[in-house]
Parts: sequence; structure tokens; C-alpha cells
Amino acid sequence: MTSSPSDTEAAAHPLQSFADHVAEAVGGTAEIQFDTIKLRVPADQWADALTTARDDLDLVFFSWLSAIDWANDVEVGDTLKEGVDERIELLCTVGDLTEGRRVTFSTDLSNDKPSVSSLVEVYAGANWHEREAAEMFGIVFKGHPNLDHLYLLDSFIGNPLRKSYPLLSREVKPWPGSVDVEAMPEKPSTENPGA
Amino acid sequence: MVTENDLVRHLGEAQVSVELETEDMTLNIGPQHPSTHGVLRLVARVDGERAFDVKPVLGYMHRGYEKLSEVRTYPQITALINRIDWVSGYANEIPFIVAAEKLMGVEVPERAQYIRLILTEMARIASHFMFMASYPQELGALTPIMFALRERERVLDLIEGVTGGRFHPNFNRIGGVKPNAGSGPTTKKTPQDLPAGFLAETRDAMERVLVSCDDIEDLVAGNEIILARTKGIGILPPEVAAAYGMSGPSLRASGVNFDLRKAESYLPYDQVDFDVVVAETGDCWDRWWVRLQEIRESVKIVQQAVDQIPPSGPLQAKVPKVIKVPKGEVYVRAENPKGEMGYYIVSDGGAGPYRLKIRSASFSNLSILPWILEGALMPDIIAIMGSLDFVLGDVDR
Repeated sequence: MTSSPSDTEAAAHPLQSFADHVAEAVGGTAEIQFDTIKLRVPADQWADALTTARDDLDLVFFSWLSAIDWANDVEVGDTLKEGVDERIELLCTVGDLTEGRRVTFSTDLSNDKPSVSSLVEVYAGANWHEREAAEMFGIVFKGHPNLDHLYLLDSFIGNPLRKSYPLLSREVKPWPGSVDVEAMPEKPSTENPGA
Repeated sequence: MVTENDLVRHLGEAQVSVELETEDMTLNIGPQHPSTHGVLRLVARVDGERAFDVKPVLGYMHRGYEKLSEVRTYPQITALINRIDWVSGYANEIPFIVAAEKLMGVEVPERAQYIRLILTEMARIASHFMFMASYPQELGALTPIMFALRERERVLDLIEGVTGGRFHPNFNRIGGVKPNAGSGPTTKKTPQDLPAGFLAETRDAMERVLVSCDDIEDLVAGNEIILARTKGIGILPPEVAAAYGMSGPSLRASGVNFDLRKAESYLPYDQVDFDVVVAETGDCWDRWWVRLQEIRESVKIVQQAVDQIPPSGPLQAKVPKVIKVPKGEVYVRAENPKGEMGYYIVSDGGAGPYRLKIRSASFSNLSILPWILEGALMPDIIAIMGSLDFVLGDVDR
């Protein structure tokens, strides 16, 4: 059921040979974390890498596409414990429909004006996922037929899943649930038994 | 003598042999809330009785769960994700909890895993019964809903008996499960467990579910109108389905033998014996048929799990009081009633995720609408959309 970190570090991970095979075919570096193969490719090879995955590796099933905003200054949520290179990391998971293998492709885009070629020609299902990533992170997908807002109003300004975008409800009223996170007292206080 | 009635009848039988040049019309369908599917709007270009360039307009139910998750702790997030696909709220929790447990390296006790397995399959039965109820109704057959909703309620009652919630159980804890309405108070000696008689009642309910499946099959499979409206309608080839990320019963209806319950190991599915139901054509009828058979397979799984569940044992692994998830990234996906549901967790070692990507089944399943509705007859739009079995909460998240 679960795998400990030491499993994933062991050289004989059951997915290792497949990960190496993908990395060799596509070009890029593979790492395995908790049974999730992540393959890093340069941004200019993004569409080519996914085309190879579909045609040569039989990864025909488009699972999802989204991004992570790696930022040192955050408006909401916890700040990262260690500093990172500020960037947008684009992720796309594809899989096969026989063995249940899946690979998460990853590429780094600039934080400022992220732009990458669209996957709509490779996987038709990328259409909506890219529209969502475009409005939520401000990524421009070159060659996408229609990058209109998917969820948000047409007049909406901003990219809500960027870490620099505040959560407006929190601005109005702090979250009362934050007290739950603090450690419980060891024993009930004896000074004020009625409390 | 030719009467006026004969003339009218004759006019009705006349075939129009010339193609009329008509102006296209833009038709707006929705947004409306037909109770179960949620609020969806379609904009279609209509040429006569056929629809082209169908554009689904989403976002009426967008609640921003991915952003909200960034300011919540892991135990708090399960309350949110219950509400993604509310027809099978329990099943939503599983991949998220398993993902967090993977990152933490927590081993879940076997009894808790079996309880998860039973409830997940019950959620699948409840979700598929919702489809068995609503789909014939959308096609004009009003009787199956009575059978399907009655049995669904029986299953939901059992889920409610264990979790305390009918739609939003919020039942899983990292490391195990936490029965809400168990027997007696929680003390160290008598920890809360399944309600007394739960397993026996489950056995009984499963028998009734099977009977109801037969009733529904008789009603629907013997209905010539439904057959005419679903057979050969909305055929989805497997390559197209895969490229769009279509998953779950709709994918298997197109002949793809793929089930994450067999391919991934997130619950003890390897301990039970069940078949993956696959159809051939990929039309609306097959999508209905696969779901009906899946109810029967789920009953098989529940019956075996009820027999095999350890009679006693802990329901919760030892975890710290304050849950902190070690740094790492993981993607865990599960076979939900509507298809592949997965969570990509990016953790920085804190009490909440740095980023949580929610991969929901209905979002990808619905994205095929512009393709599958291209050139469809107006009445077939209802038949095709209904057969995809989506929930807008699962689309908009």
C-alpha cells in the first residue's frame, strides 16, 4: 500500500527500467518519487516529447495538465522553507491503457511571461486543461485554438492560482480554523477546572 | 371522396425531397439545474435538427478548491473534496488520503482498508444507481427511477450509519477511518467501530441490490423506445476516448479493458475477485449496460469484503496529533464511479499542501462533448449527454 522514502531511493525500484526507457526515448531526466515517474524536459521540446510518448511509448491516455507556481513570496498559504528558483513548472500526466503505467512530464517556464507550445494537436483532451492552466497561471499555449477563459468570467483580471494572487475571503476575515493547527495541551489545565 | 382528414394525413406522409436552404440558428441550452448534473450551459449552432460547433460554457459551479486547499491543513481538505463529485462523495476522499499516507509512509490497518473498500464500492453502487435512475428518465421512461432510487437510498443509509454523512461523509483520517455513529462512547477500552449489525445489513442490502438490478434490466432492456434512442447513438471510438482523457465506465464501454482497481494498488482490490466489464460498440446503450454490470461486480466485491474483513483490530494507525506531511510530490489516482480521479500533492513539509492539483473524471469526460455532439440530432444530445454520467461539481471543482 504505502512506500517509504527509502524504497524510492533504492536502485531496484520496479519502475526504474521503465523510467530509464522513457528518458532515453524522449530525452530528459527521470526521477521516481513514491511510484510517480517525473520526467523533466526542456520547454522547447515539450510538444515533441509528448508526441514521442504517445507514438513510441504507447502512452495514449491523456490524464491531466496543470502547473505549479514556485514562488518565494506568497500571498496565501505557507512560505516555502527553502528558497527556490522562481518559475512556473508545467506538468502533464499521460498513461497507457494496458499496464497502468503513467509518466508525469515536467518543464520549467519563466515566471514572467510563461509560454509553451500547445498539446491540443497531440492529445485532444489537452484543450480544456490548457485553457484552465492559461487562466489560472497566465501561461500562453502557442497554437491553441481558443484560449478564452474556461471557468472565470471573461472580464476577470488576474491569475488566481499564482501564489501572488490573494485569497480575497481571507483578506476580509482571517480563517478561524487556523487555531486547530496548534498543538494540543498535554493535560487539562488544573487552574481553571470549569473551563 | 377525399376528406379533409385524408389530406392532412397525406401531407404528413409527404417526403421533403429538396434540401431547403435555411439560416443557421444559435441555440442556447441551459444554464439550468436539473438537480443532479449541476449547472451547465451549451451554445450550439443549429442547422435544422442538427447541432454543430457545440460549446460548453463552464464555471457556474467553480469553487476554487485548488486555491482553497493551499490555505488548509490535510485533515481539513477532506471536507472540501467530499463536495467535488457529490453523488459519490465517499470515493473522492480515497485517492487524496492515500496520497497523503504515501508521502507520510503510514501503513493503514487491514480492517480500516476493508472498511474503505466496502464503502467505496457502496459509493459506486449509489452513483451508478443515480445514473440508472436519471438516464431512462431523461429518455422518457419514468419507472426505473423508482427502483433505482429506492435501492440507492438503502445503500446511502448504510453509508450514513457508518460515517454519519449521507453525501459528505468526511470519514477518512490519515492512517485510517473514524466511525462517527458507532456503538457506544469512545474510550480506550471500547473504541468506536462499525455500528452493530452493519455487516449483516450490508449482506441483506446487496441481495436487494441484485434483485433491483434485474428489475431495472427488465424495464430498460425491454423498452424498445430506449433501445431505439440509445443503440448506435453517440459512438465513441477508443482512440478518441483515450486522447480526450475519457476514463471509467464510458471508456470501458468503448472496448478498452482498463480499470485502475486492477492497475493501481490503493485499496485491497487484489484480495477480492471481480471482473472488469467491457462492452464493444461504445454507444449510449453500452455506456448504460457497462454501468449496470458494474453494480453487479461491486456487489460481488462488497460481499467478499464483508466475508473477509478482520473481525476486530485497530481502525487507525499511529500518526502524530498534528499532521505534517514530509516534503515530496506524489500523484495517486483511483477508479472512481465516474472515472479516474487523482490528486497531485506537492508538499513542502508543512501542515497543508503547497499545491494540490485535482484531476477529476467528469472534467475530462465532458471535454469530449464538442467532438461527440458534432452533427448530432437535437434529441440525441440529451441521450448522449446523459450517457456520459457527469456531475458538474466534478467538472468545475
